[in-house]
Amino acid sequence: MARDADLIVIGAGPAGAAAALAACRSGLSVVLLDEAAAPGGQVYRAPPPGLSVAPERQGADERLGDALRDQVAASAVMWRGGARVWSISDAFRVDAVMASGNESFTAPRLVAATGAHERLVPFPGWTMPGVIGLAAATILLKSQGMVPGRRTVVAGCGPLLAAVAAKIVAGGGIVAAVVDLAGPGDWLKALPRMASRPDLLRQGLGWALKLGAARVPVLFRHTVTSVSGEEGCEAVTVAPVDAEGRLTGGRSRVFEADALAIGHGLVPGSEIPKLLRAAHRYAPEAGGWAPERDAFGRCSVAGLYAVGDGAAVAGAEPARLSGHLAGLAVAHDAGRLTPAAFEREAASVQAERDRMLVFAGAINRLMRARPAMVEALAPETVICRCEDVRRGEIEAAIAAGAREINQLKHFTRCGMGPCQGRMCGETAATLLARHVGSREAVGYWTGRPPLRPVPLADLLGQFDYADIPVPTPAPL
Amino acid sequence: MTALRIADGFQRGAAVTFEVDGSPVRAHRGETLAAALMAAGIVRLRHSPRDGVARGAYCFMGVCQECVVRVDGVLRQSCQVGVEDGLRIELRGSV
Amino acid sequence: MSAPYDLAIVGGGIHGATVALFCARAGMRTVLFERGSLCREASGVNAGTLTMQMTRVALIPYALQAHAMWASAREWLGHDVGVVVCDGLSLAFTQREAELLSFRAGKRREAGAPIELISAQAAHAVEPGLGEGVLLAGHCKVDGYANAYLTGQAYRAALIEAGVDLREQTPVSGVDREDGGFAVQIASGPVRSKRIVLAGGVWLEEMAAWLGIDLPIKVLVNQLAVTERVAPVMRTVVGIASGLLSLKQYPHGTVVIGGGWQGRGNRARGGAEIVPESLVGNMRLACHAIPALRSARLARAWAGLEAETRDALPAAGPIPGIPDAYICGSVHSGYTSGPYIARLLAQRILGQQPADPLFPIDRLLAPPAAETTPSAAEGRATDEQPQHV
Repeated sequence: MARDADLIVIGAGPAGAAAALAACRSGLSVVLLDEAAAPGGQVYRAPPPGLSVAPERQGADERLGDALRDQVAASAVMWRGGARVWSISDAFRVDAVMASGNESFTAPRLVAATGAHERLVPFPGWTMPGVIGLAAATILLKSQGMVPGRRTVVAGCGPLLAAVAAKIVAGGGIVAAVVDLAGPGDWLKALPRMASRPDLLRQGLGWALKLGAARVPVLFRHTVTSVSGEEGCEAVTVAPVDAEGRLTGGRSRVFEADALAIGHGLVPGSEIPKLLRAAHRYAPEAGGWAPERDAFGRCSVAGLYAVGDGAAVAGAEPARLSGHLAGLAVAHDAGRLTPAAFEREAASVQAERDRMLVFAGAINRLMRARPAMVEALAPETVICRCEDVRRGEIEAAIAAGAREINQLKHFTRCGMGPCQGRMCGETAATLLARHVGSREAVGYWTGRPPLRPVPLADLLGQFDYADIPVPTPAPL
Repeated sequence: MTALRIADGFQRGAAVTFEVDGSPVRAHRGETLAAALMAAGIVRLRHSPRDGVARGAYCFMGVCQECVVRVDGVLRQSCQVGVEDGLRIELRGSV
Repeated sequence: MSAPYDLAIVGGGIHGATVALFCARAGMRTVLFERGSLCREASGVNAGTLTMQMTRVALIPYALQAHAMWASAREWLGHDVGVVVCDGLSLAFTQREAELLSFRAGKRREAGAPIELISAQAAHAVEPGLGEGVLLAGHCKVDGYANAYLTGQAYRAALIEAGVDLREQTPVSGVDREDGGFAVQIASGPVRSKRIVLAGGVWLEEMAAWLGIDLPIKVLVNQLAVTERVAPVMRTVVGIASGLLSLKQYPHGTVVIGGGWQGRGNRARGGAEIVPESLVGNMRLACHAIPALRSARLARAWAGLEAETRDALPAAGPIPGIPDAYICGSVHSGYTSGPYIARLLAQRILGQQPADPLFPIDRLLAPPAAETTPSAAEGRATDEQPQHV
């Protein structure tokens, strides 16, 4: 088959853009696809056309994002934004719905750089309008210029807590409370390793000072136990927990709030390697099931590379460096970079990435999955939002013999809805793992196209009945 | 309810008007439909299939599928659609 | 050493599970081996259609019996698989399709399927969701669908209640003949049984080879697609004259689109890849039939493997030359007809006269030169030129 490019990169965040740029510099023809209108991914997301952000509101992420976009624009990388990739097949053919309809791209090499999504352990009321993800809150604050509510509780774990709360305060909003699963001791323990990134540490301290000045209550070692309201968030109840997120029985508190921004860490969005049947391993330190890779992102499927938080959660800058390494590896594997040049160029990038992974390790520890929180869920708590599947139904299916995650899906419809199991998968797998012994035994959702639901109107376009290539009828 | 739009530091795009279940809603070019609906106080976008309880946008990044509405007749994620003059939005209701 | 089991079954799809169920209920000590979980291959990932209008003519009498079994699954299986009995339509949009439809509906009606040809207007009354351009429709009141993904759960409970020794996640590496029966080789060692049934779907070829039988099995890779839940857009099962569409909306709102468009895959890898043009073509056909579907979103596509013998008729009966060894599979539209054909085999194993003839594999083991005899070959030839009929 005639090939469109030497390399297709899916995802134009820091990892994908760096991979595309590095491969392109070696003379490879590169197609870079992303569903967003401009490169940047989630963290370096570009402000949408029409909205401009005053310089005083711009931080390091905005500057790095602009630099990334300038680099892509100045390069020979063929950038295709607004591409909703829905099918990947045939080593490698990528089909994407664009504004113009479905388009196919082919290349012998593919870099998957699709980023992470948030983990959220359910609680009563978590499905109510007004409850949003921490990452959602950053999108609203940074690229929509909005605060999530008039009074917001910010809860969960990791550095996004302070980032989101500080940005709400800076935007003139009210933060009712910051509710952190970690305790001061956990943060203190992380500090020495966080010092390996003075830039980020300084940023974090800035957020903390901002919250202190605004007298925002910060509750350490607490979790949200419920959200209540008529048809949306009105009040958030929190209670103290131990290091694993178990309720200690201590006094609970109620905060009036019309919004709750909450997240319990990040999970690699490894849908493309899963779709292509690459080998995976359960890697809690990477956020969950992650594709098996060598140091340069090469997967078990020939020609497939996985980089960034979609392969192992580590943050934006390590993602950029892992993308850079994979781009070099692609160039080497395609014969455009001599082994010596590859080693020379890769060595310095690797050293920098390894240094940054120290910080990432500390953060991942703060954002780690806490299975005890899942085990404590009440039977009536909804686990699968798309299909309204409750914990009790999942337990009943396990009692009826469900032993791995896809079988559980068949028994309950958990994970069968349009989010394709991204919202419920971690919780359902944790529940099943209690019975079958390990997350490895539970497995993961089988990768299927489309990567995200796609409107048939866009995918099918206009057509004549006579042009449908109907195959030969089956025998009578 | 423009209370959620941050006043300082953001230069917003031109005003646009779209229709939600027949009523006009104003927003600014550059806003996603999901954010514009939230800013307009419209947070209940659909009802869940079995329990019939209200749901709203959760992830704002294309993952959760909670913000799906009917845009000019077609089901779409409102967080992935930019506002435009004249869009006709129907909230999904329970299916 | 006497065998601890009267019957060992290799393969836990509908065929194997149904044979196990009826034999165990009749008192046989039965063990069933499945390398994964019950009904997670073709029996669990098919479109769930229970239709006469896509069934091969030779299988219509079986499909009618099987349809009745599905409709009463609660009684004989004891568990729900979400069966809905409804009208079915097979559509013709072109003159050629109308001729094909008339020919095929006629043959199926002769075989006992209550199919009537109706006008476009009458078809719209049966299915208000239909789009424009219908010239003619086949209408069958014996139609419907099940929730295929519930099959495993239902059979699992039924088999356990029937006392079947159910061994899921237990791959079988071979079957050896020995005095008084067979030794089924699993990781923990041999398990002995007086009788054996091979019911391994597309893997029947390898299984038959364990007993020295050369039974070629072709692998079809059938693509399927499902939308997210949408408000009602249709109320019947809709197909087209060529059989290349099966379309229905489940009570919970999802619409399943199938029809046997081919993806890529094989026995070793499974239904590994969908072919985008094929999927798009299949879905265009669906939206042509039911235009309101265009407002929905595709939520998931997948491919399942279907086994086909040389004459596309089932392999269901005793294995020639090997007493007490049986085979069951390769049933076209096997989800519809499988339970009945497997029950017939159970009757044979239990020493009863099957209520309808089985499909012994002797015909498939003969040299290919003998291919002129099966009626299927004639059916195919005439079928592709309906204008000459």
